[in-house]
Amino acid sequence: MNIRKYLKSACLLVVFLVRSFFAFSQDGAITGTVTDDRGAPLPGVTVTAVGGTGVTATGINGKYSINAGAAKTLRFSFVGFAPKEIALAGQHTVNVTLLESAQSLNAVVVVGYGTARKKDLTGAVANVTAKDFNPGVISNPMQQIQGKVAGLAITQPGGDPNANLIVRLRGQTSLSGGQTPLIVVDGIPLDNPNQLSNISASDISSYDVLKDVSATAIYGSRGANGVIIINTKKGAAGRTKVEYNGYVGVDKLRGDFNLLSADEWRTAVKDVPGIDQQTIDALDKGANTDWLKAITRTGFSHSNNLAVSGGTETFTYRASLNYMNQQGIVINTGKEQIGLRFNAENKSFDDKLTIQTGLSYNQSNRKLADYNIFEYVNATPPTFPVKNPDGTYFGYSDYHEQNPVAQQMLQTNTSTDYLTQLFAKADYKLFDFVTIGTQGSISHLNTQSGFFQPVLPGVGNKNSANQINGNVDSKKADVHLNFLKDFGNHHLSGTLVYEYNDFVNDNFSAAGQEYLVEDLTNNNLGAGNSAKNVIASYKERFLIESYLARAVYNYNSTYYLTASIRRDGSNKFGANNRWGTFPSVSAAWRIKNESFLKDVSWLDELKINAGYGIVGNQDAITPYSTLLTLGSGGRFYTPGNPSNLYPDSYTPNQNANPDLKWERRVGKNIGFNFGMFNNRLSGSVNAFDDKTKDLLFTYTVPVPPYVYSSILANVGDLRNKGLEVQLSGDVVRGSNFSWSTSGQITFTKTTITSLSGKFNGTEISTDKVPIGVAQGRGYQNNYLTYLTVGQSPYVFYLPKFAGLSPTLDPSTNSNQLYYDADGNKVADITKAKYNYIDPSPKFNYGISNTFNYKQLSLNFFLRGVYGQKLFNNYDNIVSNYTRLPGNNVTKNALTNGIRGSQTASDYWLQNASYLKLDNVTFSYTFNKVKGFESLRLYVTGTNLLTFTPYKGMDPEVVNGDSAQAYIDANMYGYGYYPKSKTFILGASVAFK
Amino acid sequence: MKYSNKYIKLGIVLALCISSSCKKLEPEVYSRVQNVNFWQTPDQIAAGIAPAYSQLRNIPDGNFHDLQEQPSDELVVPARGNDWLAAGQHIQLFTHTWNAQTQQVQDTWTDLYSGVTKINFILSIVNNLQPAPPTLPAINAELKTLRALYYYWLMDLYGNVPLVTDFNTNPNAVKNSTRKEVYDFVEKEIKDNMGLLSTDKSLNTYGRLNKYSAFCILAKLYLNSNQYVGTTKYPETIAACDSVINAGYSLEGNYFDNFAQENQNSKENIFVVPFDNINIGGNNWAAQSLHYQNDKNYQIAGGGWNGYCTNAEFYSHFDTTSTYSVRGKNTYRTYNDERAGQFIIGQQYAEVATYPPNANVLSSSTDATLKIKDALTGLDLAFNPDFTDISSPAASFRLAGLRSVKYWPNPGVQTSQSNDMVIFRLADVLLMRAEAALRNGSASNTDLGYVNQIRLRAYSGVQKYAWTMGDLTLNNLLYERGRELAWENWRRQDVIRFGTFANARAPQKTLDADKHWEIFPIPVNQHTANPNLVQNPGYTAF
Repeated sequence: MNIRKYLKSACLLVVFLVRSFFAFSQDGAITGTVTDDRGAPLPGVTVTAVGGTGVTATGINGKYSINAGAAKTLRFSFVGFAPKEIALAGQHTVNVTLLESAQSLNAVVVVGYGTARKKDLTGAVANVTAKDFNPGVISNPMQQIQGKVAGLAITQPGGDPNANLIVRLRGQTSLSGGQTPLIVVDGIPLDNPNQLSNISASDISSYDVLKDVSATAIYGSRGANGVIIINTKKGAAGRTKVEYNGYVGVDKLRGDFNLLSADEWRTAVKDVPGIDQQTIDALDKGANTDWLKAITRTGFSHSNNLAVSGGTETFTYRASLNYMNQQGIVINTGKEQIGLRFNAENKSFDDKLTIQTGLSYNQSNRKLADYNIFEYVNATPPTFPVKNPDGTYFGYSDYHEQNPVAQQMLQTNTSTDYLTQLFAKADYKLFDFVTIGTQGSISHLNTQSGFFQPVLPGVGNKNSANQINGNVDSKKADVHLNFLKDFGNHHLSGTLVYEYNDFVNDNFSAAGQEYLVEDLTNNNLGAGNSAKNVIASYKERFLIESYLARAVYNYNSTYYLTASIRRDGSNKFGANNRWGTFPSVSAAWRIKNESFLKDVSWLDELKINAGYGIVGNQDAITPYSTLLTLGSGGRFYTPGNPSNLYPDSYTPNQNANPDLKWERRVGKNIGFNFGMFNNRLSGSVNAFDDKTKDLLFTYTVPVPPYVYSSILANVGDLRNKGLEVQLSGDVVRGSNFSWSTSGQITFTKTTITSLSGKFNGTEISTDKVPIGVAQGRGYQNNYLTYLTVGQSPYVFYLPKFAGLSPTLDPSTNSNQLYYDADGNKVADITKAKYNYIDPSPKFNYGISNTFNYKQLSLNFFLRGVYGQKLFNNYDNIVSNYTRLPGNNVTKNALTNGIRGSQTASDYWLQNASYLKLDNVTFSYTFNKVKGFESLRLYVTGTNLLTFTPYKGMDPEVVNGDSAQAYIDANMYGYGYYPKSKTFILGASVAFK
Repeated sequence: MKYSNKYIKLGIVLALCISSSCKKLEPEVYSRVQNVNFWQTPDQIAAGIAPAYSQLRNIPDGNFHDLQEQPSDELVVPARGNDWLAAGQHIQLFTHTWNAQTQQVQDTWTDLYSGVTKINFILSIVNNLQPAPPTLPAINAELKTLRALYYYWLMDLYGNVPLVTDFNTNPNAVKNSTRKEVYDFVEKEIKDNMGLLSTDKSLNTYGRLNKYSAFCILAKLYLNSNQYVGTTKYPETIAACDSVINAGYSLEGNYFDNFAQENQNSKENIFVVPFDNINIGGNNWAAQSLHYQNDKNYQIAGGGWNGYCTNAEFYSHFDTTSTYSVRGKNTYRTYNDERAGQFIIGQQYAEVATYPPNANVLSSSTDATLKIKDALTGLDLAFNPDFTDISSPAASFRLAGLRSVKYWPNPGVQTSQSNDMVIFRLADVLLMRAEAALRNGSASNTDLGYVNQIRLRAYSGVQKYAWTMGDLTLNNLLYERGRELAWENWRRQDVIRFGTFANARAPQKTLDADKHWEIFPIPVNQHTANPNLVQNPGYTAF
């Protein structure tokens, strides 16, 4: 009836017979159980009688039995775990706990279009597995590896559960738009890295980070920013496994703007020059409101992931269901996510045909923050109440100033993502050394956002509503051929791929105003003033076609050589520049395998590697940048044509650049890996030197002769140099107590080496491209940061602050002074001498420590950035006494002496180095609980402490993502959602 | 045998994948139109030309408005505490302390030059169409005249600006031209194209330049010629004005009908920038001036922004004598000089104000509940022209200055009012004619008649307000222009021409030390983009 059951019984019978035979015939039989450090049995562990002949493996329950014969020692080894030797002293039962090795050399790493064993890698590739993930309330899976990988900088711009992370690999790689690494989930590149926020973190088993250009070159035109490969958990042959992972958490506001309290305001306004009691009385509504507290709350979160996996030798599967609900700390914000993921693998025809399928569906319901409210918090006097005595919201309206609580609570501001991803892959072993296969995938992200703003108290606005429906679709297909052949000690493998990618983005939106019944919010868009209805739609499409080949050779697992070439065509470019070629070559020497090191017992691994490659970047340009296209120039009035009084006009929507070509990154990497003292100390060091050529950048051009003041062009070169060190050590390795520590430090230096290029055949060059702008009232085109040759991107160019003058200067209406070229103090900022100041961090680092005592474990993780500077634009605006009494100010404004208009000088550029106690986890693993295969409970706190000289709310702000890098503003939509500290209680359970 | 089968299979698969890839990677455009596929029909050509004009929408109440009005005597934007402080830029404009970084100085340049370069682009396209459109000569003439208008303003504001007339100009070759070169270009361009411009004054050319608009540009150029290039051209000014006066335009019966919500049928307006609440946004005149709580009488949805105003010195030149009528608890005033009604003064009452603004203005009430209060401070909302500070945190300072309702606010609208905004109108031309004649020493009864047309329109035809020849003086004309053309973007060049630009005036403007303030500096961001540019004299050199 059931062939599996029959086979299983037959096996057991054989095992029983064999065991009986040995048990009766031999004396040295030893039995026992092998478990991991969490007490879970480890099947498949090789047990060797050292000096004897016996070799066996543990069964599914981790049990083994071996005839040790005359052997004095048993050796236990298993892939991914540190081997252990136990001296025999006459005992017949030996139970062993194996610890996962700090550097598991045999671990399989996904390198793009294939896999490699870690020890065989020739490029700089980092691998992070589940046991090293950051715990906590995870709204984006990438938070799991924040600070863990040398060279990978992940920044959370704020505490918004719906905001995107900023991810940078090996520094600033480009100047425009796309700098986020390509993210590949189970072999399928995401259309947009931000789609990752829709994927459940608990389904992820590991991250492989391809860092150097020789490793990413296989992704050709999409590999310039590095590649992060995410592998989800898979089923394994064996008994059905049911697992649950979940947590409950609370989020609390961390940090403060240090605004005046109502009483401090009352004291401070008395001294405002020209103030009268009437004004004070008029603004003092008698309340004591902390507006930051008023818009925030304690957020509750919970996350639940239930997975079922299992299978047979020929069919494995895993299915998971997850649900997460995260309340934001800002009122009426949050994220709710439900997702389903299924993957399976089937082998048939004598394992010649392998078919893999995967499907995932995720729905994320988001309640968004209106970022204007963060500015209202600073603007509104603390003497205003949130609500009137009758419970309605207190209403008022002034320039960028209205009741933030009313605005956030009364508005509907939602967005729902529906992400569906399907993939299938079939591989057929044509010969024993050649596999041919094909893979296809479809990704469909539908985002529906909705907005409704009612008539707000005291504002007198018209109500308005909209809905936007956007799709990001892609279809990808490839045909691939893999070969693998050993000729004695020569191992040769290779890959050939043809790939086709088709991307379509479209959206549709409708909006209306003046609804009679506000209860309908945005659900009946047509019911407003018909004259105010607005519809719009957009569609774009682009294609990438690629041919790629890779060959990997090694001799005796000692000398390695990898070479790859990829040719990409993209229709984003003009006809002459459509195709780009991206080669790479890398080599490694595993010195440990040489005879002269074979017997050096303290050295477990030593390998040096070097690589060179060229990759491209096309994210910086939109599909039609090379074409002279016309878009709407607004409607115009044609009274002579009464049937269509306001037709649409057409005008060029860009300075088209038909000469655009691929931005190329030429990279060199050299490094070494080592393991010593039985792998108690291991690590890797990599140095890189990358040059980005033909930088795509939207830079400023003069009007005239251009229509628009900016143009996308290939304008220059930049250079990235860096050093990455990653170390792990088992400080104490005991059976009851162990302490392991690991850390990474990354030094990067980015320099612009040229800013000149060609447009329409004309050589254009510039010495200085303005980028970042000061934000705030009265600032417009007040550039703070620039691109200039010989400096880091986003270098500040600011006058040196020279103190304060007793009077306001009429030219600036400010009392701030600056040094001129002769070192004299001047009040006129246009006469000041400007200096370049590099704000970029010198290095960033992360340190993790884990202590295990029996079943108790403590882990804490510190990460930091050194040498970063931020322009404290928030302080620049709000720490200004002149805002009183109508707007609130920080406590700092009472003492800093600044009067009049704000101006930008280096006074506001502050040291923003920081060290964060990012997370601390206590966990307890229960040994034997009835009904459970394993049970682990943990408590985690995140974002607990920050050490920084920075005077702003948090030194970790938008960094390198936009033109506004290193500018810490909190206004005009650049407001940031305050950060939180989080405490969670979690459980990981496997059921029997 | 078995192997060869497999090779065939492999070959087929490879052949399939290669063949599928042979198609060209040509871009497919969906929601935009490729320029090469446009310009096919007369309607498309019209829609392609229209953006040359749409750049004008930034002119009447935008950065340009700030530059042309705030350095003069009729418009001031005081800093009401932190409100409208705006890094002191409005203060700089009023007190003549601006610099090359002042926002309006930077942005007006881009607003005007975008008009120039859009026209350069359109000319480069339409002159290469095959077959050439039959209306090509007229299209060229109209676009070149419009470009001359943009250059006229650039020359007026910045003096020595680069003259670029070819879309494919090498950007490295763009350098300052002298003010004289730009002046000569404007004059020649208008004269050369005048003959091909339309003489149609109907709605068919509404919002577009016709021949008479071109004469208006010439009149402005010649009247200020002494300031621009140091030579007077009064007879030429008179001739240009006469060409407009004789074209058949006539003054509207009520002054305010030229600026009303539906003002497209004005017989007085010669060239306007059309706006529409739904279709053509950008007219924020009412919001810029009215107070946050003026929604209660002027029905400005969401309230105004409490910014632009005029002060007692300028307002004192208006005749505010009125006739009063009492209805119930309320007293209403009707101004003798219609034009005095463009500014609102005193306590504001929560009763819907009626059009036109010169008549039946609710000026006092014994019903205290009707008094509008400033919501933020609780003060009575009463506009006060007497203020000597340009910046003050006092609550009462929020109410400083008189607000303009010249462009009558549209009920229920905050931004994007539908009133078309006036660039040239007959009244301005009549006053220019009289001024040029006076300066030329040839002022006659004709000129007096032109001025009195305007005065009698303002005074509803009451003859005693007419001027005599003795009243026709330059000083009187300066203030007559002020009353008639307040905030219409000509005041800066008027006060320069009349020599009062440099004067000290309230609030807090001191006498200019020299004349370099008469032109603005080349914006610093333009120098960053084009290092060839040289700064105007008197400003910190680049």
